[in-house]
Amino acid sequence: MSKRVDDLFDAHLSKKLGRRELANRAARLGLGGVAAGYLLNAAGTRALAAGSFDWKAHQGTTVRLLLNKHPYTDAMINNLDNFKELTGMDVVYDVFPEDVYFDKVTAALSSRSSQYDAFMTGAYQTWQYGPAGWLRDVNEWIGDPSKTADTYNWDDLLPNLRASTAWSGVPGEALGGSGAKQWAVPWGFELNSISYNRRMFDAAGVTPPENMEDLMEKAAKLTSGDVYGIGARGTRSWATIHPGYLSGFTNFGARDFVVEDGNLKAAMNSPEGKKFTQMWIEMLQKSGPRNWTTYTWYEVGNDLGAGASAMIYDADILGYFQNRGTKEAGNIGYAAFAPNPEAEQPTPNVWIWSLGLSAFSEQPDAGWHFIQWATGTEHTTFGATQADLVNPVRQSVWNNADFQARLKKDYPGYLEQYQQSSDGSKIYFTPQPLFFNLTTEWAASLQKMHANQVSVDEGLDQLAESVNQQLRNAGIAQ
Amino acid sequence: MIVKAVRAVLLALVALFFLFPIFWVLLMSVMTNQDILRSPPSLIFEPTLENYVALISGQLDTSVGTLEVAYMRNLMNSLILGVGSVLLSLLLGVPAAYAFARFRFRLGENIAFTLLSFRFAPPLLVLLPLLFYFQQLGLYDTYFGLIWVYQLITLPLILWIVRGYFEDISEDIEHAYRLDGHSWLATFLRIAIPLARPGIAAAALLAFIFAWNNFIFALILGSSDVQPVTVGALAFITASGINYGQIAAALVLSVVPTLILALFAQRYLVEGLSLGAVKG
Amino acid sequence: MVELAQDRALPRARSSARDWLLPYLLSLPSLLVTIGILIPFGTAVYYSMERYNLAFPAGRQFIWFGNYISLFGDPGFWNTLQVSLLYTLLCVGIQLLLGLGIALLLVRRTWFNDVMSVLLILPLMVAPAIASLMWKLMTNPSFGILSYLLTLVGVERFPWASSPDTALFTVVLVDTWVYTPFITILLLAGLRALPKQPFEAAELDGVPQSFVFFRITLPMLMPYILTAGLFRMLEAIQQFDIIYAMTQGGPGDTLMVFQIQAYLSAFTYTNIGRSAAVLMVLWAITFLLSNLVIKRWLKLRERRHGNA
Repeated sequence: MSKRVDDLFDAHLSKKLGRRELANRAARLGLGGVAAGYLLNAAGTRALAAGSFDWKAHQGTTVRLLLNKHPYTDAMINNLDNFKELTGMDVVYDVFPEDVYFDKVTAALSSRSSQYDAFMTGAYQTWQYGPAGWLRDVNEWIGDPSKTADTYNWDDLLPNLRASTAWSGVPGEALGGSGAKQWAVPWGFELNSISYNRRMFDAAGVTPPENMEDLMEKAAKLTSGDVYGIGARGTRSWATIHPGYLSGFTNFGARDFVVEDGNLKAAMNSPEGKKFTQMWIEMLQKSGPRNWTTYTWYEVGNDLGAGASAMIYDADILGYFQNRGTKEAGNIGYAAFAPNPEAEQPTPNVWIWSLGLSAFSEQPDAGWHFIQWATGTEHTTFGATQADLVNPVRQSVWNNADFQARLKKDYPGYLEQYQQSSDGSKIYFTPQPLFFNLTTEWAASLQKMHANQVSVDEGLDQLAESVNQQLRNAGIAQ
Repeated sequence: MIVKAVRAVLLALVALFFLFPIFWVLLMSVMTNQDILRSPPSLIFEPTLENYVALISGQLDTSVGTLEVAYMRNLMNSLILGVGSVLLSLLLGVPAAYAFARFRFRLGENIAFTLLSFRFAPPLLVLLPLLFYFQQLGLYDTYFGLIWVYQLITLPLILWIVRGYFEDISEDIEHAYRLDGHSWLATFLRIAIPLARPGIAAAALLAFIFAWNNFIFALILGSSDVQPVTVGALAFITASGINYGQIAAALVLSVVPTLILALFAQRYLVEGLSLGAVKG
Repeated sequence: MVELAQDRALPRARSSARDWLLPYLLSLPSLLVTIGILIPFGTAVYYSMERYNLAFPAGRQFIWFGNYISLFGDPGFWNTLQVSLLYTLLCVGIQLLLGLGIALLLVRRTWFNDVMSVLLILPLMVAPAIASLMWKLMTNPSFGILSYLLTLVGVERFPWASSPDTALFTVVLVDTWVYTPFITILLLAGLRALPKQPFEAAELDGVPQSFVFFRITLPMLMPYILTAGLFRMLEAIQQFDIIYAMTQGGPGDTLMVFQIQAYLSAFTYTNIGRSAAVLMVLWAITFLLSNLVIKRWLKLRERRHGNA
């Protein structure tokens, strides 16, 4: 690239040039939107390289990654040349479809294979991988100035997300508490809110719901003909529990577990838990998707994007993705949601795609080089402004004017939704290694309630009993 | 007359049930995702080849940049694995099938049953230990290793189906041929195999299909470099949405090689009729 | 009769050391190549007797039959056994009948039948995991063509895989769509390989068609039916792809078959010991059932050769 182009972007980066002015001048040099973005980040990369940290410390080594086929991965691959240039390292990656991704991770790590240095993981998965000894505690790297650039700015990562990916390994102990190991570094995340079809809402004269009762009423009102009111996931999987359901469950003050005399005890059958679950099932029976028990992320999203559902209570980025290239593109609105009228704020549970450092890697320092770049300000800014690395995990990216402008232009209401939700957004599950057993069984139990095979109260009581039994069997509780 | 009419109606129903979904997938493969996700579904749409173009060129243009699609590579992997496994299974299985059909020998039935029983073990059972040993032996992520594992699927199938055909062919012709002074090998190659060809063709085709459709072995025992179409087609399901059009196109492309093979084998499959003439 | 068959075997004609060795030379390579699978199998058997959860490495311990005992005490296991057997019975039964029927329809060689018999293999060529994805779309209440066609004939809101009442029906339907062609191919090849004389004789004698079918065709086809049924049974009792893609074992526990139970245990719950125990039980059931079928197959064969 020409020196003139480089100078232009460097000037923008050192705040000498505003964004609009940059765009004008770039256009005069004949650069379109996407190309300009790539170059902008190349400038960011040069800024990184100019710092005191030795990015070339692992020059010539090859980092090997295990990745999920995901927009976050696509964003990273599009920006990878900048990493290679910055570090002189090579990167090879194995990408597997989301449907089978965690099977591949479990298999690769359980065989203690050294073939991957770093890999993508969810926060819940670290509750298995950490105790299994498959992950390294990255605190060791973050705290070491010789291994982490001074510009990395760990504290810029949202505090709730940092805490949600750190755990001591003691079942029931709070995430991010004292003695917690940082099992992974947040990369991108989603929280649970309402995404709705503004066209349908306007036609029905309805505003976004204020609380659970309001939601049930409006969902029923919007259900007519081929359109149903409210979308949510419903398969026999942990993925059914963690989005809207657990967010609302928490908002009503219910918890999955309580600690009594140092012992974990199932608590999902508390009066609050039963009250909310009752409303949830009733709402789905009345205004949910007809084939709810087969609904995954994809069906919930498809229906919103194709105008088959009026709203969803699910991941905000699911609504984000449906506002582009779908039939209802441009019609999707976003709203923060606190189901409990007495709650002070929304309490969205979150899913965090993170990067973990494999315990079996023979070159963890090189792996960390990649992770700190991928989760660093430069790349996450690039991802949020030029690709789909949303939601960003860094406060500085949320403050970034370009990112805000992008959201305002193409996803009206999204930023406000986030700002109202973010304080209360974190993982609300109690960390313990039987997380997947519990949530899968929980989903099966909701399905039975939905089919009226068991009452809500009975279902939750049976679930609690079964979970307590499993905790005892696994030696987690007495 | 009535029999003929009933026959025609039944055949039409059968064709409808088995071919309608294929027809629908074919349609979806030339639709955009927006057209597919219409409620109610509709036949009025503008056909497009973009799904095929993306798969074959390996480039998918999206609003956030160009993505790489490795589907043709997946297709090649499937071909290597399928053809390799079936050839090896034929080489090993057909002589063995002949031995079990023609000779009664000590432990013969036991060997035959043991070979079949390798198919009893659910793949999940051996998968994780297998991964461990594969890594120790350097077989991880190799076609050789995968073709070996695929023998668990293809070999029992070929062995037992072909055996059945050999059993049904009269021994008298072979007997006569040998009395003519020909060697055992010549008899096997010139008489037995040609006579059993319909069975061998049917078995090879089925074995190929089962190898083609497998995905758990390659998924766990290889990197993304050796993944077959079954895994590759899942790559169109991502967090930003399922691209049904591309999956449908991927499915159509994945069927083509098997279909060609089936058309080729068809000649042998239907030749079975002439066999009656030489039977005892 | 067995002795008679042996007398007719070729090598008896000229008995030499080479002939004695021949069958072993022919069959042992197959065994040698595949016998290695016993090593990971042995490892898996060992796992099934361990308390072995990847997430609790410290608790790993050899516990003899502990996993099996806890399995047999779990009502979920008996549900799994019941569902798996029912699924297998329905799939194998329906598909054998349907596959045989189609093979009979296509047995006469006409141009049309030849084309049809290739086209009908198409569903088998679609990987079950992906076929299920397509079926899931076709049965979607909003965009599904099948759901839509049902509303045209007056069936509104058919729940397909989502309701405990219709989930089994739906997955058996998909399984039937995918695998019936397997049976058809084998039986069609078998039908066409049958000797002609008995049929010609029956026609000359004016024997009724139903009699010909039940007394001549069916018995002569039986070895093929058993082979096809055996392989179909092996697949059906170990079914995973279709059920997992359509319902993940739900709704509730409606479709919790063995492989899904084992898959969840191993890959979702990281409980390798329990998963191995579940799969060992599945292996044992498969072994027993197959043994029954093969005994029957061998008996038929002896009778055939005795009468030939």
